[in-house]
Amino acid sequence: MYKALLFLHWKQVRFALVPAVIASFGLPLLLVSGMGSPNGSPTASLQAYQIVSELNDFLYLFPALAAGIGAVLALSAWNWDHQFNHVYALSLPVTRFEYVLNKLLAGFTLALIPAAGLWLGAHVASLSVSLPVGLRTYPNQLAVRYLFALFLMYGLLFAFASGTKATTVKVLSGVVGLVVLGTLGNELLAGFFPYFADTHVLEAVMRTLVEAPGPFQVFTGNWALIDV
Amino acid sequence: MNSAIELEGVGWSAGGKGFQLRDVSLRVPMGSIYGFLGPNGSGKTTTIRMFMGMMKPDRGRISVLGRTVPKEMKQILGRVGYVPERPHVYPSLTVREQIKVHSAHYDLWDQGWCNELVSRLHLDPSRKISRMSKGETGKLLLLLALSQRPELLVLDEPTDGLDPVVRRDVLTAVLDYVSEKNATVFISSHLVHELERICDWVGVMDGGRLVAELPMQSFKNGIKRLRVANAPEVPIEIPFTLLSRARDNGRGSIETWIVRDWEPPMRYYFDGVGATVRDVIDLDLEEGFVELLRSSRPQHTNGG
Repeated sequence: MYKALLFLHWKQVRFALVPAVIASFGLPLLLVSGMGSPNGSPTASLQAYQIVSELNDFLYLFPALAAGIGAVLALSAWNWDHQFNHVYALSLPVTRFEYVLNKLLAGFTLALIPAAGLWLGAHVASLSVSLPVGLRTYPNQLAVRYLFALFLMYGLLFAFASGTKATTVKVLSGVVGLVVLGTLGNELLAGFFPYFADTHVLEAVMRTLVEAPGPFQVFTGNWALIDV
Repeated sequence: MNSAIELEGVGWSAGGKGFQLRDVSLRVPMGSIYGFLGPNGSGKTTTIRMFMGMMKPDRGRISVLGRTVPKEMKQILGRVGYVPERPHVYPSLTVREQIKVHSAHYDLWDQGWCNELVSRLHLDPSRKISRMSKGETGKLLLLLALSQRPELLVLDEPTDGLDPVVRRDVLTAVLDYVSEKNATVFISSHLVHELERICDWVGVMDGGRLVAELPMQSFKNGIKRLRVANAPEVPIEIPFTLLSRARDNGRGSIETWIVRDWEPPMRYYFDGVGATVRDVIDLDLEEGFVELLRSSRPQHTNGG
């Protein structure tokens, strides 16, 4: 069943996956193009600083690309099922758990392709650049982080997209409701407790989610291909 | 006799004033070809989705091939071939790819039989499903269902919208399979004449209720139109089921009665109540079906 679902997912997403792989492969190369100088240069430390700071401006592209590809994979995973009201899946002699698990695994497998593209691109980029003393490349670490980000976004949106339209509306309404409630509640609480005038609840929640050890920390961590 | 499908007091409501299934109890004998008749929107597809485990009833008990729905759905679906009302196959795949994907889920898949059906039904394996006609898609769905070698074949309006040639191909393939495998077939349709030729049991749905369930022979032969003279005002202890009665316009004491479960000796009943049967007219299946539906619906009086 896994192979069949992998094939179905591939058929569904293949045209989106090709540019995704090209982008994953090309992004590290693009970032290091025209960078670096011979080792041991007298101005090495200054150049090292320039390299790292220039790269830092563009590092957000890695998690953004991972999130985008993860989203495409997740939405395409359920596209056909929604189109046919899940009738095909429900008529198959498999439990719902088995079906969902195999579908999830098929998507994880496809996520390996852009991750492999990035890994390869990062290695080629590492070999193509001459770095001053004190700087190193981290292609494997970057690829692993990229893969985790892909998995996380895919898994999250896969679960989200598996529901009916009604479920989607409920979840989105819930999130919007919480944001509104958090904002208004914060204003209200600030009137009574000075602590809330300086501390925003929603910001605190966001920080908890994206900073270590939050579940989305992989997106905000160190994405540097070149670092000290 | 064992039942291939058994529903007992199944009820379901879409909520509010929406569609309801009302206390549906039906029994499909093993090895039979069961025609499930009813007008559009009568609850045929909903009933099928109930026993296929796709929808959960609010109340009642369902079993298919001796197993409980929905608890043992995986085991049940491995033995059931299903052709849904609307095509559910993936349009981007070719016929060959769809067969490959589908076969991966079935232990009893018969590839030899599948290949034979591909040529018998004149399907092109390399053709993309999105480019196939409605008839070709219908044949593909049937091919997928038959190649599983199912014990029970559930066909939801399988020939709806197909041309007569394709319709015949589809029904012939079903009949050939049944005669070879002695499988049970549950086939829903609103095309009465189509089921007349092939079914040996019939169930009639209307307004979310099962209004009749009987052997096809009884359905064909047992529903009559009687022309009765001097009919009693309030008939008592009638040996048949009176579906409807109406006074003939301008004919004095002559009434037309539509009856079910009729047998010739029942004429003597009318002698006993001072009435006379002038004519006994055979209704064809379609007329019988219409009369059955008419009698099952609430009567509306004109003029308040």
